[in-house]
Amino acid sequence: MKLKVIGVCGMGLGTSLLLLSEVESIARKYGVEIEGEVVDLGSVRGKTCDVIISSSEIAKELKDLKIPIIEIKNMLDKREIEAKVKEFIESIRKS
Amino acid sequence: MLDFIVSFLSNPAFIVGLVVFLGLIALRESFSNVLKGTIKAIIGFLILQGGVTILINGLVPFSNLFTAVFHLNGIVAEDNSLAAAVQPMLGTQTAYIMVFSFLINLLLARITKFKYIFLTGHMMFSFAAEMAIVLDIMGANVWQAILIGSVVEGVSMVLFPAFSQPFVRKVTGSDDIAFGFWGSSWISIWGWIGGKISSIFGKSGSSEEIEVPETLSFFKDMSIMMSIVMLLVYLVTAIFAKPSDLQQVIGGKSPFLTLILDALTFVAGILILLQGVRMFLAELIPSFKGIADKLIPNAKPALDVPVFYSYAPNAVTLGFLAAVIGGLIVTFMGKFLPVTVLPSVIGLFFMGGAAGVWGNAYGGKRGAIIGGFLLGFTWMLLVALAYPLADVTRYGVKGLWFATPDSIIVTIIMRLAGLLFGIPIK
Repeated sequence: MKLKVIGVCGMGLGTSLLLLSEVESIARKYGVEIEGEVVDLGSVRGKTCDVIISSSEIAKELKDLKIPIIEIKNMLDKREIEAKVKEFIESIRKS
Repeated sequence: MLDFIVSFLSNPAFIVGLVVFLGLIALRESFSNVLKGTIKAIIGFLILQGGVTILINGLVPFSNLFTAVFHLNGIVAEDNSLAAAVQPMLGTQTAYIMVFSFLINLLLARITKFKYIFLTGHMMFSFAAEMAIVLDIMGANVWQAILIGSVVEGVSMVLFPAFSQPFVRKVTGSDDIAFGFWGSSWISIWGWIGGKISSIFGKSGSSEEIEVPETLSFFKDMSIMMSIVMLLVYLVTAIFAKPSDLQQVIGGKSPFLTLILDALTFVAGILILLQGVRMFLAELIPSFKGIADKLIPNAKPALDVPVFYSYAPNAVTLGFLAAVIGGLIVTFMGKFLPVTVLPSVIGLFFMGGAAGVWGNAYGGKRGAIIGGFLLGFTWMLLVALAYPLADVTRYGVKGLWFATPDSIIVTIIMRLAGLLFGIPIK
């Protein structure tokens, strides 16, 4: 399976890249290939992907998009990131 | 042939491409990923240089007008733009300093008790460029600049996170990660002082108990925020300008319209150059991270500032707004300072917001406001006072200067050290 994932943060330089690289290493464990990109909050509109990952603060600004969002409350909590990414991968596999 | 190799190895776009290429090979990526990553990194660097040309087109006419109207020099403190602007002159040093400082960081994390790995790529890039600037001004040649710059940056990459770590423990309640951002010392100090001052006036509840209106959240989008502030700054200057000045400096059928377009062009340039930074970092940082994970398993990653916002999102808003007020005071003090620092939104947001989080941790919502205010005021004052230490106009860069406090502190130390070796500060 291959997923296109976009990481979003205020500038699209720091935390988005961090989240994306977490997603990549988690996905590898579950045998999913990731095509990743990071963008800033202003540029995410008009992009297409299977899922967006961002902090819940940033996710609030993206609620109107029709793309599923993995919202991370605490970006330092690897367990939270892993649990939510795993949940998303499983939901995709089922559908 | 030798000429070809030398030009290849002194072109920043190719250096970055080569490092990404080697990094991806070290991580045993597939051939297609190596090829894709390398090309993207090189293109990213070229986009960065294109963006800065556009940015300067939007900034220079305004900068001239500002000088004509107020008889003052006005600058925006923005590191990535400054770093990008000096690449044609100092790109070789910058790229090598960035790469070698990372290796020195790895070495220090491996052999000392400072287990920090600095992973904020755009900051590694801008710091490297600023070291290249300072060392070039101090008379170092390319090789000296690479040697000294790499050591100074590599050491800074563990020392600054080490300094802010006690504060990070207090704010996050954990010791797993570190603060890898060149505003870390300033945020820690002023956020802490803000919190302590707040405590003098008695207890203040947490910022997270209050309701912050949703309408205030539009400024999370940097492009909007920067556009509004730049439009205001450009138009206010235009209002004070004599019609003859406007016509002469800006020109065109409607100087006002031209200025509006210039303000937005400035922002457009920043957005483009950040897209370039993003493209080469997206390839570079994962390979840095992969290498660090392999070599130093017990390392503490030092990460970009927004990871701390989730500890007190409301405090980010309070801290940022207070920082803008503190910063504006410095802007209006321009007459009495070496340079007028125009409101520099990116720094005020990212650092002011974090000072809010820190202030809140030490002294509740009042601490967040005082911390943010003190950060905005002292930071822009630091920029204004340190400005004479590095004259970037010699690179044809007008209206831009260093932003991050940590790099300015290092610059001050280096210029003072230079005095010992008889290199004057002029």
